[in-house]
Amino acid sequence: MIGSALVIARKDLRQRLRDRSAIVLGLVAPLGIAALMSFAFKGTDTFHFTLGIVDADHGPVASALIQTLQQPSLRQIVTISPAASPSLASAEVRNQKMAAALVIPAGFSASVAGGHPLAITTVTSVNNTIAGSVASSIASSFVAQLNADRLSVATALAAGAPATQAQRLAALAADLRIPEQAVQRPLGAHELKTISYYSPGMAIFFLLFTVSFTSRSFFVDRAQGMIDRMRAAPIHPVEILAGKALSVFAYGVVSLATIAVITSAAFGANWGNPLAAGALGLALVFSVVCLTALVIGVARTQRQAEGFSSIIVFGLALLGGNFVFLSSEPPLMRRLALLTPNGWAMRGFTDLATIGGGFGTVVLPIVAILVFSAVVGTAAGLLASRAVTA
Amino acid sequence: MSFGDRLAVDDVTFRLAPGEIYGLLGPNGAGKTTTIRMVCGLLTPDRGTITIGGRAAAHDLSVKNLVGYVPQDVALYPDLTARENLSFIGRLYKLHGALLDERVDEALALTDLSDRSSDRVDSFSGGMKRRLNIAAGLLHHPVLLVLDEPTVGVDPQSRHAILERVQAFGREGMAVLYTTHYMEEAERVCDRVGIIDHGRLVAEGTRRELVARLGERDRIELGATGDLERLAEAVRKVPGVENAATADHAVHLVADEGRRILPAVLEAANHAGVAVNSVDVIEPDLEAVFLHLTGTALRE
Repeated sequence: MIGSALVIARKDLRQRLRDRSAIVLGLVAPLGIAALMSFAFKGTDTFHFTLGIVDADHGPVASALIQTLQQPSLRQIVTISPAASPSLASAEVRNQKMAAALVIPAGFSASVAGGHPLAITTVTSVNNTIAGSVASSIASSFVAQLNADRLSVATALAAGAPATQAQRLAALAADLRIPEQAVQRPLGAHELKTISYYSPGMAIFFLLFTVSFTSRSFFVDRAQGMIDRMRAAPIHPVEILAGKALSVFAYGVVSLATIAVITSAAFGANWGNPLAAGALGLALVFSVVCLTALVIGVARTQRQAEGFSSIIVFGLALLGGNFVFLSSEPPLMRRLALLTPNGWAMRGFTDLATIGGGFGTVVLPIVAILVFSAVVGTAAGLLASRAVTA
Repeated sequence: MSFGDRLAVDDVTFRLAPGEIYGLLGPNGAGKTTTIRMVCGLLTPDRGTITIGGRAAAHDLSVKNLVGYVPQDVALYPDLTARENLSFIGRLYKLHGALLDERVDEALALTDLSDRSSDRVDSFSGGMKRRLNIAAGLLHHPVLLVLDEPTVGVDPQSRHAILERVQAFGREGMAVLYTTHYMEEAERVCDRVGIIDHGRLVAEGTRRELVARLGERDRIELGATGDLERLAEAVRKVPGVENAATADHAVHLVADEGRRILPAVLEAANHAGVAVNSVDVIEPDLEAVFLHLTGTALRE
């Protein structure tokens, strides 16, 4: 029985290799889009920019701000570059030699002690809005700290502290820091790089297209009389379906594995433990086989098969988070993703890339995908045999 | 054999001997293709049995090894070469290795396609595709070859080659079940003919036996311009005319002593207002038998 199924699978794969669109969909497109994603999001995984400082004040408060910006904790994000004047700083920002600049006006330190402190100006550019936002945020934080210091001194003086102690009180207040700070810390052992999300995302998205062109090819075969030709031979109808399923499985596995290897080697994507990722991939491809059989069973014509496949491919990709990070989607969408095999697969691959670990990390996604496959496969098995003998 | 409420084939029984070419004739929808699909195991009869080589076909997949199926439409992969197509189909019949290569070469040679074996089928002419379609049914050396209208849309040269080959199959001992719309093909290649109409086998026998059933009847072919249906309707009322049907821009009728009633037929045509351009009184043939039995022309 398996012999005839292998013969049919081999023939299907030979045709698929000749059909360049299948190679484009299975390999070139996912790799190309993953590469594009990689370039598009390059730099967002590690953010760094050059900040110009125009110190027209040369006072102690300006020095304190510059020292703050040169703290070791900020060095990974920002490099300070002095500029002689506001106009020169603006020119450098315009020329993109600096991402943004802070202008500390003359007399800023002296004004802090008075009733009307001068403002720090932030020079930003549309070319780097994130740097502009970060620079503004840093300036705001510093000014907030400064205002807190001023308020502390003013409160102490109002409470009866002698005015001669104002300088000492200001120094004491400046040494204090706001105790509560938000710290970003990834859940897993590793941060999730964009390429590590979109490599499986795109590979799975294009793997789903297998549903489309395999079901289409089945109906083309039927219209050409090839299904009858096969059935006239001494083989069981189930062998015809098994052959089609084997070809989908082989194609899907090779496509996923090749994309995983290339994106890991060329773009640094992290697919996690190879054995665990492989097991997850096999489960996912199996679910695609079941979906293909379901379309073949439900559709009556080639056109219907194409329509159903399109709904399945784009519906699953949208729900399963192949286009956007699942974590950034609303709670309802995140719950709906758990109804899809690709949603579970994305979760599994993301866990492998962040939490790490081996097979244990992906047991739940694999079980969920297999349950999905069992439900779909049972329905497909009942319907698809009829499609062969129709 | 029924499809829902529609009875497609009812109580059809025929037998083919080794080396015999049996023609199954019938108008569209008569039940020919359903009969053939049952013989090839593509449909399971509601009742009755099909026995091939002494073995009941139902539920025995191996019986399919005895049957070569040549469908009406070319059933080949256009994006594969002739050899790849035949190799694929041969493997489905459990042929492998050197034996498969040998059978593929043999089938290609039989259908004069050896020199095109490495070419993709989509580069073939219609006639070449038809020949390759036949080659695909021969790979496993069936004892029964089923040909469903194998010459439809084929140029005269290719048709001649196909008919020659079919006759050779018979001489070589293969039983051939042949359906066609072309009466002259049936007359040329078939040893016996079965006429099927409305799902029933209405007559069966050699050409001579079937024609003898007509007795003194002749077939008259009236070439005419105008409303042929009206002409057919008019001549049916002439005493002695048994059946009249339109086909190929003519009205065909079967009548007792055709030459005697011809004046009355022309008179009826004149009254119907249809101009008759040509008249042929033809000695009894299969076409006349068909018309006599079914009331329709084969290519209606």
